[in-house]
Amino acid sequence: MAALCKVVSRFRCGVWSFRFIRNCSGTSGSDQPAADAPRSGFAAAFDLQSELRREAERTAAGGSSSSSGQQEDFASLLRRSPLVQMGPAKGRTVVGRIFHVVQDDLYVDFGGKFHCVIQRPEGEEGLRRGSRVFLRLQDLELTARFLGANTDTTLLEAQADLLTQLDARQNQNQDVEGTESDRAAVK
Amino acid sequence: MGSVLSTTPLSFTAFQELQTRSRSWLTFCGTQASMAARARRLCLRVFVVFFSPDSEQYHLSFYTEQILSKPLQKPDFFRLSELVSLKDLFHARVHLGHKKGCRHRLMVPYLYGCRLDQDIIDLDQTMEHLQLALNFTAHVAYRGGIILFVSRRRQFGHLVESTAKDCGEYAHTRYWRGGLLTNSSIQYGKGVRLPDVIVLLSTLNNVFQQHLAIRDAAKMNIPTVGVVDSNCNPSLVTYPVPGNDDTPAAMELYCRLFKMAINRAKEKRRQMEILQILSSSSTRKS
Repeated sequence: MAALCKVVSRFRCGVWSFRFIRNCSGTSGSDQPAADAPRSGFAAAFDLQSELRREAERTAAGGSSSSSGQQEDFASLLRRSPLVQMGPAKGRTVVGRIFHVVQDDLYVDFGGKFHCVIQRPEGEEGLRRGSRVFLRLQDLELTARFLGANTDTTLLEAQADLLTQLDARQNQNQDVEGTESDRAAVK
Repeated sequence: MGSVLSTTPLSFTAFQELQTRSRSWLTFCGTQASMAARARRLCLRVFVVFFSPDSEQYHLSFYTEQILSKPLQKPDFFRLSELVSLKDLFHARVHLGHKKGCRHRLMVPYLYGCRLDQDIIDLDQTMEHLQLALNFTAHVAYRGGIILFVSRRRQFGHLVESTAKDCGEYAHTRYWRGGLLTNSSIQYGKGVRLPDVIVLLSTLNNVFQQHLAIRDAAKMNIPTVGVVDSNCNPSLVTYPVPGNDDTPAAMELYCRLFKMAINRAKEKRRQMEILQILSSSSTRKS
């Protein structure tokens, strides 16, 4: 009796295991023809990396055109310009370049609409045409409305105070000529 | 607006040129380097047109008409739109205007806005107006017109005069006498040839007063091209160009652009004349 039971039980186990194996093979067989099989191992890694690379290329190509398109627009040029990013001019520190000297008067251009005129400080003989200086801005344009006038009277000058002279050695990193974008440094 | 672009009869202006050439005074303060050369060229054309036999006269006036009418068929014959871009204008600080209190009410349409009390000029509009102005100046130079650069800004006087010298035109950057245009026949003698276009690189005498050239040119039917800042009056200027006229970078840009436009137009004229001479000589041989 016990032997029979054991045989029967072994048979049943065999049946179960057989069914289990059949089920497994069945499920895997049914899924193999489908394309969206969850891959694992190297296949999954390859898919992931290729998709990342494609996305990166797409953003690079699209991003450059969109950014150059943005930069060409007047509104975005204005918004990104240092003069606008600086905000109110009062108390800001900027870098200016001396473009004209008349004895003790130094005419400094800092990238705004007007230049400013500052007095040469005592003992500073190193300030000549082309030297760069630190300025603290007070006003971008000196204007005032006088009594009885329709419009403001403007002096066609900016007002700034001289802080220090920018050393030539410090300047080598950002020595680019010309535009206002490299003149104004926001503190 | 004057009749500059309509075909003024060549013989009339050339005859005046002949008369003025016989005298030896200066019509305007400024360089006259190429005036003799210009007079010589015009004389040559006049001679050929007036004193040649009838058949040749017909041919040559036909060719002259062709030279004069060909640039008018295209909107941008001299390709001046490639001379300047919006970025160039921006980096030359053309968009910066005066403070809000200095604003002229008639400049409001040309302004983009006001930022922290400083007016910002709309560069998109400036681009269009600048293209028109450069195109017009180039066409006038192509047809052998006299261009007068005027600016009373002492800071840029030398720049304006050297620009005029480089393109073979005239400049007036000193005190403007009252009757310079309106009383020219009495002040400078009869038969004076007045400029065909006046380019004002700054429309103000000082911050309170507009330059007299604008009013006088309007009286004498002389078209004007003017750089108008946010405190200027653009009414009487024929081709206003809203832009900054206080920064050296902006002024240098304008001077360079006008110089390049005028030189291009004159080169083109020389090329067209040479081509016509070659083609007419080939037709005569065949």
